[in-house]
Amino acid sequence: MTRAEQLAALRTDVDALAQADEATVLAALPQWDSLAILLVVSHFEHVHDLEITGAQVRACRTVADILNLNSSLS
Amino acid sequence: MHSSLSNIRIAGLAVTTGSVVRDFIADGLAAGIDRAALERTAKTIGLRERRVAIAGITALDLCADATTRLLSEMGLDASSIDAIIFVTQTPDYPQPNNASLLHGRLGLSKSAPAYDLAMGCSGWVTGLHQASLLCAHGGAARVLLCAGDTLSRLTNPGDRSADPLFGDAGSATLIEKTGRSTPLHFVLGADGSGAEAIMVKQGGARQPAGPLTERTDAEGNRTHEANLVMNGPNVFSFTLREVPGAIESVMRHAGYSPATTDALVLHQANRFILSTLAKKTGFSEAQTPMSVVEHFGNQSSASIPCALIHGLADRLEAGPLKIVGCGFGVGLSWGAFAGEIGPLTIAPILSLPR
Repeated sequence: MTRAEQLAALRTDVDALAQADEATVLAALPQWDSLAILLVVSHFEHVHDLEITGAQVRACRTVADILNLNSSLS
Repeated sequence: MHSSLSNIRIAGLAVTTGSVVRDFIADGLAAGIDRAALERTAKTIGLRERRVAIAGITALDLCADATTRLLSEMGLDASSIDAIIFVTQTPDYPQPNNASLLHGRLGLSKSAPAYDLAMGCSGWVTGLHQASLLCAHGGAARVLLCAGDTLSRLTNPGDRSADPLFGDAGSATLIEKTGRSTPLHFVLGADGSGAEAIMVKQGGARQPAGPLTERTDAEGNRTHEANLVMNGPNVFSFTLREVPGAIESVMRHAGYSPATTDALVLHQANRFILSTLAKKTGFSEAQTPMSVVEHFGNQSSASIPCALIHGLADRLEAGPLKIVGCGFGVGLSWGAFAGEIGPLTIAPILSLPR
């Protein structure tokens, strides 16, 4: 999966990120909340078969940081 | 831990809920939340309404009502009960336990032991295992398992990540010794390293009741030390990590597959978790009752018996059905079961006071 494909899949699964690009700052998104974090955890589990924690997602500042979780864990 | 117990059956089920209907969207709008955000959460998590208890009604009252209705439905006298197990994390008092209080209220025999299990969402399965042990190996012919909580009292109305989730309910399950040899299989486990993911810090011996300091997290949710605080994403990670394996393990012991199982009955945490677990374990959504959470809220240890009644009452009364189930939550802990349930007696889901 290319990085562009990973971003597209993330935008499909997490509605809070539907309009986001890699540089988007998560805290600036109005729908960035615990539900969005839960959807990111679920996305990693079913798309990448990777287990991540809520704390790892909360530590991300931008969408690029979320995508980087995939390369650092897989 | 795996355990298989024979010569037991679930003979009856009843659930009593709180009487106040709380609407998720209306409550959120009153709290100043944007309607679009509420509808997004309602759709994803499956929240619509929940039922909470009025002041003065406790888990003991809800379970006592369910028990009285079930015994009446079955034409049984309370004196025929050989033991009471009460699963709750919201007992009436630190001492004595709820089981003893219910023992006295029902007028049970002095030869009937009464004890509590301090467990939450996985507790009905652990209680079912304990009750089955007493019937299979402990000399009891009929055991009353009560399971319920009033968790809505523990959440902070300012905590939008937890407060809208919980409903209040109490259940009564009668387990009997029988000549039927078809076993009930259990897989039970815990991961105490994650214990702080769901926690009420104040009110026990470590941190007795005292002054409360309200804090606001990065998302604007307010909680204090006596509130139930839940790290939702971490609980979700735990659930995905442990529950599918427990379900697959108990199915192996039972010789079941999704194709040969009538229903997967899970703790009714929320629709998103239930849908994910069904998909991961190979069950269809049609096999997996999910409607309890949108009608009643997350009812802690009462949610599996409520799902059995709400989703499968007619089929269970005619039974038997091959059921696989799993409770999971605070502890962190889980309990899976598999076996034939039914035919049995069911008292309808009612609220208290009526």
